[in-house]
Amino acid sequence: MARMKFLCDIERCIACDGCVIACKEGNNVPVGVNRRRVVVINEGKPGEKAISISCMHCSDAPCIAVCPVKAIYQREDGIVLVNKEICIGCGYCFMACPFGAPQFPSGKVFGARGAMDKCTFCAGGPAETFSEKERTLYGQNRIAEGKPPLCAAMCSTKALLAGDADVISDIFRKRAFRRGSGTGAWGWGQAYKDR
Amino acid sequence: MKSLKYTAATLALASGMLAAYAAGHQVIWSPASSSYLDGVRAIFGATFSDYRPWMDQFIYFQHVLGRRLFFGILVLIPLLFLIHLVLIGPKRFSHKKGMVYYFSALSRLVHWVAAVSFTLLVVTGLMVIFAKPLGGGGLVLQARHWHVVCAVIFAMSGTAMFLIWVKDMLPAPYDIKWFLILGGYLSRKKEPVPAGRFNAGQKVWFWLATVGGGVMAWTGWYIYTLGAETPELRLYVLIHSYLAAALTAFFLIHLYMSLFAIKGAIWSMISGYKPLEEVEILHSRFSRFRVKKRT
Repeated sequence: MARMKFLCDIERCIACDGCVIACKEGNNVPVGVNRRRVVVINEGKPGEKAISISCMHCSDAPCIAVCPVKAIYQREDGIVLVNKEICIGCGYCFMACPFGAPQFPSGKVFGARGAMDKCTFCAGGPAETFSEKERTLYGQNRIAEGKPPLCAAMCSTKALLAGDADVISDIFRKRAFRRGSGTGAWGWGQAYKDR
Repeated sequence: MKSLKYTAATLALASGMLAAYAAGHQVIWSPASSSYLDGVRAIFGATFSDYRPWMDQFIYFQHVLGRRLFFGILVLIPLLFLIHLVLIGPKRFSHKKGMVYYFSALSRLVHWVAAVSFTLLVVTGLMVIFAKPLGGGGLVLQARHWHVVCAVIFAMSGTAMFLIWVKDMLPAPYDIKWFLILGGYLSRKKEPVPAGRFNAGQKVWFWLATVGGGVMAWTGWYIYTLGAETPELRLYVLIHSYLAAALTAFFLIHLYMSLFAIKGAIWSMISGYKPLEEVEILHSRFSRFRVKKRT
């Protein structure tokens, strides 16, 4: 089965935040929760780089290892999802994640945390596919519709690639060769090791 | 067309390298490769810096040890006490020799506020540890919220308890002797045990609950607010968890001592009076008390 991965090409990302907005709008993500964010380094200086970060859907994901309720699980295609009805909002996944992906809605009494929210690769959640419950809890299920995630579909420079690992790494390799630059994709060593 | 581009790129790369070499290793033109890798490294530095510390220990505790450790404590300690109860049995002390006013009304009130909040802290904390068998979700989410409410109440009553009892809880030389004979709980003989107003076991419990409770509140605050760097948060979770294990163990010991090991011991914390015989034997070094004859 195809292994779904994200790949952000830092040579192409122009920090337009289109991915962030597409994700927030398309999935009705609440205020204060950002499933995807753009990090810019050396802003306004030579060597400025930008990267769009969300859950990388790691193989051997540390969040799954530390979750005390096993609310987080990995699908066969590698997409890591959270069951919001089991999640207890303890925050351990946030502490384990190298990418700062898990988000917690606050605004309850005394700022208490609710269930965790994170990037779903636009693959909905454990609720019944295309159901109203899935839409309100997790957002769209574009993978079931045969579409790429909103962020990657939106990306104006196609810096952000999402999909079958073999296909997107092939695209990236060709790009890298064409522009004669290195082949290390940001975050892949961290997220996917050699799988 | 594609292959033509590749060839062109390769040629450009080769000529660039040649140019760089010709200039005596001074790079006049280079492919984007070095800047690209620098970029990757810089972004790695900005997003992954200090990401590893405490990671392995954190995963090990959460994934392997945590639940087993607490399960072991919850099973082994009551089992040991059951064996103790069967083999040695509870200590009984006569009320006929008179009663000693041991706990003032204020200290009893503070003790019970602390006791109720602490019990709820243990229960709700264990609910988070054993969230999976409980099914997780709303129930444990509520338990987590109550954990915070109880922590605030215990922080206040624990501080009061510390101020009331700290004088009697300072370590004394005879505490070592108490530990060597384990407070005389391993025999049925009624021989005076070296202990002041509080014995060495109670002293350990006191310091663990008050100072340890302070550490729990400190680490718990950061875990609640996620208000520190991620590696620090992991360390705080580890401290919070291991200390919680020790506190749970002592909580069970305290329960057994007050409810079973000494017959009727819990009544001293309700009425404030202890039998004189018990004080003479279990607190033999304690002298500043007045005896009240009871008829």
